[in-house]
Amino acid sequence: MTGFEALYPFLYPSADEPPGGDDAREREVFAEVRRSTRDKVAEIAALRARVLATYADEVVGCAGAMAAAFAAGGRLFSFGNGGSSTDAQAVAEMFSAPGDPGAGLPAIALTADVAVLTALSNDVSFEVVFARPLAASGRPGDIALGLSTSGNSANVLRGFAEARRQGMVTVGLAGYDGGRMAEVDTVDHLFVMPSSSVHRIQEAQTTVYQVLGELTLRALAGGPR
Amino acid sequence: MIRELTRTDAEEAFGRRTVATTALADEAEHIADACHAMAARFSRGGRLITFGNGAAAADAAHLAVEFVHPVIMGKRALPAVSLVTDPATLTGIARRSGFEDTFAAQLRAHARPDDIAVGISADGACVNVARALGEAHDRGLLTVALVGGDGGAVAALARERPPARVDHLLSARSSDPYVVKEMHVTMYHVLWELAHVFLERQGRAS
Repeated sequence: MTGFEALYPFLYPSADEPPGGDDAREREVFAEVRRSTRDKVAEIAALRARVLATYADEVVGCAGAMAAAFAAGGRLFSFGNGGSSTDAQAVAEMFSAPGDPGAGLPAIALTADVAVLTALSNDVSFEVVFARPLAASGRPGDIALGLSTSGNSANVLRGFAEARRQGMVTVGLAGYDGGRMAEVDTVDHLFVMPSSSVHRIQEAQTTVYQVLGELTLRALAGGPR
Repeated sequence: MIRELTRTDAEEAFGRRTVATTALADEAEHIADACHAMAARFSRGGRLITFGNGAAAADAAHLAVEFVHPVIMGKRALPAVSLVTDPATLTGIARRSGFEDTFAAQLRAHARPDDIAVGISADGACVNVARALGEAHDRGLLTVALVGGDGGAVAALARERPPARVDHLLSARSSDPYVVKEMHVTMYHVLWELAHVFLERQGRAS
């Protein structure tokens, strides 16, 4: 039995077929699929609650540090692989194209520049695709925000190492137990989503970076609460 | 002057997700129906085509990579492409025929009747997304929309009678675009997983 079969045993014919033939089986599959959706929704709700309980103070501290960095003229660079590359772009968009068109901040997703990514991958190695642009453009007081569901992406870790060398504020989002990202000492603000589902990890990471963005913009808007 | 943040700011922000998350479970039936229809399209050679603006552009790219390179080992790769990743094409269309024609123009060039169009819009008000979904439906594609808020122009396509030009409307119950995005991420993760469930079942039945 594959992992997927174990998750969805109702898909696979067994000795105890429900009476009523194909129509009954079809109804059963729909019922199981609906139940599966509700289970996943309950999982992400519980994971978000756990992340808040663990990291509420760290979220506030990190948003304050990011606001201070932006206020001092810092820029944000975001990076990640696969689905996390799209999160990196959403992070950059959140700051550079916020609801208030006048409140845009300098934020760049390193994943959006295909010319740089392919040049470095072709000429050097995929491991340096984030570190090299940070070495070229990063300045002390900038922000590096990297995402890796496993915490083990070599190019993301190299990016943090370079960002630390540059004196940047580093923000890391990981999953599972944090992987290598939790072992290295190059991440100032680390958020680990305690789940073994890549999908739930990405969903909780989305909440964390969007709350960080919202609070950072709120802090920068200044004034009384 | 930077405003001092407190723990309450984080708690209040996280707390704003709760209602929409609970409501997401109520979409289970619509999600199941959409997955069933998507699986039927894939099994007859259809491809997934995704699009959205701003943060939803990132989601469109994310949804496509879910299908092309599944995170669960052993799941087959399925044909999927997002229309948001080529700035030369996007800006070319915007310059030539206006921003409202982005996505629709790409669909006219690429889409085949068996394909699936997924449009993502946090408030449903994106004119180019609505236009592309309408264009897709007129060409025979299955149309799926992920929206929030009041659903805007996109949801209006689902209410048209007859026939509605959005076949499957999946709504996040929030008007906060950040919260809507998070509900959408869960929705499309589930769309991917459960489309595979139906696809495997259909594969076994044939």
